Amino acid sequence: MNVGVAHSEVNPNTRIMNSRGIWLTYALGVGMLHIVLLSIPFFSVPVVWTLTNVIHNLVSKLDVRSRTRSQQTDRRAGRREGLLIVGSPMCLCFILQGMYVFLHAVKGTPFETPDQGKARLLTHWEQLDYGVQFTSSRKFFTISPIIIYFLASFYTKYDPTHCFINTASLLSVLIPKLPQLHGVRIFGINKY
Amino acid sequence: MTLAPADAGQQQDGVRATVGVSGDGASLLRAQANRELKEGIKLKTPKFFKKLTASMNEIEEIIEEWQPEPLVPRMSKEKPAPSYNIVSGPPCHKITVNGKQCINFASFNFLGLLDNDRVKNQALQSLRKYGVGTCGPRGFYGTFDVHLELEDRLAKFMRTEEAIIYSYGFATIASAIPAYSKRGDIVFVDEAACFSIQKGLQASRSHIKYFRHNDMEDLERILKQQELEDQKNPRKARVTRRFIVVEGLYMNTGAICPLPELVKLKYKYKVRIFLEESLSFGVLGQHGRGVTEHFGVNIDDIDLISANMENSLASVGGFCCGRSFVIDHQRLSGQGYCFSASLPPMLASAAIEALNIMEEDQDIFRLLRDKCKLIHKELQGISGLKVVGESISPAFHLQLEQSSGSRESDVRILNRIVEYCMDRKIALTQAHYLEKEEKFLPPPSIRVVVTVEQTEEELEMAANLIKEAAQNILQ
Repeated sequence: MNVGVAHSEVNPNTRIMNSRGIWLTYALGVGMLHIVLLSIPFFSVPVVWTLTNVIHNLVSKLDVRSRTRSQQTDRRAGRREGLLIVGSPMCLCFILQGMYVFLHAVKGTPFETPDQGKARLLTHWEQLDYGVQFTSSRKFFTISPIIIYFLASFYTKYDPTHCFINTASLLSVLIPKLPQLHGVRIFGINKY
Repeated sequence: MTLAPADAGQQQDGVRATVGVSGDGASLLRAQANRELKEGIKLKTPKFFKKLTASMNEIEEIIEEWQPEPLVPRMSKEKPAPSYNIVSGPPCHKITVNGKQCINFASFNFLGLLDNDRVKNQALQSLRKYGVGTCGPRGFYGTFDVHLELEDRLAKFMRTEEAIIYSYGFATIASAIPAYSKRGDIVFVDEAACFSIQKGLQASRSHIKYFRHNDMEDLERILKQQELEDQKNPRKARVTRRFIVVEGLYMNTGAICPLPELVKLKYKYKVRIFLEESLSFGVLGQHGRGVTEHFGVNIDDIDLISANMENSLASVGGFCCGRSFVIDHQRLSGQGYCFSASLPPMLASAAIEALNIMEEDQDIFRLLRDKCKLIHKELQGISGLKVVGESISPAFHLQLEQSSGSRESDVRILNRIVEYCMDRKIALTQAHYLEKEEKFLPPPSIRVVVTVEQTEEELEMAANLIKEAAQNILQ
């Protein structure tokens, strides 16, 4: 289904990630986010890569508390290694958390569907391709955080703190994508 | 070169066909394909080929034995095809059924507006102005000024914020319920709900809980059960919507729903009320506004009122009215609104004129109720038949006091009463149901309809005739 054309898809969420040009848009979007973060003068390059990784994986899941905590780690890290590795590891986390929120946390559809709410309790990842596993868009979205993780760990020179945060953020985004976790809600979180 | 073998093969097939070994053309082609496949496999894998041919022969046999089911099932002799009574002319006060002129006690023409001259003239004017149909749904150049005017007038008449028009009365409540109630939601509905409500509930895919007809204690019992379950799982309860669907005047039983108690239950257990007023609109209440006016209940307490205009308003289609916040949602989610052609403008104009008449002459409602009470009183005490329905209900049922055992024989007995009355110029009808589709099939009955146009003599004549028929046929 291509966005903007007439289609008979009952739930467009299932097919939107197969649309023409959406993978490119997604990659460009991540690139834009990275450029925006690079242009902030306070963050160095490694930091920026960590930032890209984290924001990508988690968007807006961060509340104010963790933000102030990240500013503290910033200052500590800055004192330790000059201004090279400054900026919160949350940055890369940020990116990854974006993916987490939109694909694995938010349920249902933002529009009404004529199937009387069949997908009301399903996250977007579970709705993709009507639950068929290992389709090409699922593979693309599984591989893209891994690529960002590789780039982030290269540019942060495999520093332990950054590595820890980036790995945690990557896992938080890869584990819900496993087919065994399709429809699973741990501890009843996000069930209804 | 390649043509010759194919020809030979076809000739062979032709011979086989005349002998009558294989079936029709499809199985011929299949046999040919099988043969070619076999030859191919024979060359490559001989051992496997032996196993395969055995199973393929079996498959071929099964295919040749197969006979398709007939598209139309054979009719049994006991249940002959339904024969319809054919009406010529308008089904107004005097109706011509099967060539006989009778007094109409069967059509839902409560206020006699079907044959009203003002209504007919208005419809004709509209016909000359707009043509016959609208050729489009409301969103696709099918909205005319008469539709907007009718919606406005209905909202003002019912004293709600907004109203929405559907082009088919059955589809009104059947589209309204699935627009609000989705999978995972809970609907509490009366057992005697009419067929369109049942179809709406089926389309909504929600959990349906039935309570006994007009039994508020039963409803409270299941509401309490639901409350207990909600306390066990509060997160789920926060996302489930709960509705009660009731009819103002039930078509299957002629009873009136106890609206004040329902409103109390609504606020106690936090459920929304959907009220279906097809029979009570234009009948109950001092000004004909329905069961809310009849009981003096504030109309804002009812979340959605749905009615069809095919009874009192003598038009076609239906409407829903309520708060703007509620009704506006149906403009995009009401399937019958978005995906059906809109109401023909002449019918909308006819409905507007009928509303005008209803607003001008406010006596007809009281008159109708008096006539209902009269005939209700007259029909009490017939041996063999019991009257089912409220005394002020213009559509009530006559059921057999003692069933003869099977539904079919009951239907036949009631049919004889109906034919007896029709021979003597009173047109009655039985209440027909889709027996296999109804959830709670009501017992067979004769449905008697009282209209404003019937005089007291005619009512008395009808009552006496029914008594006579019951005496002759049931004794």
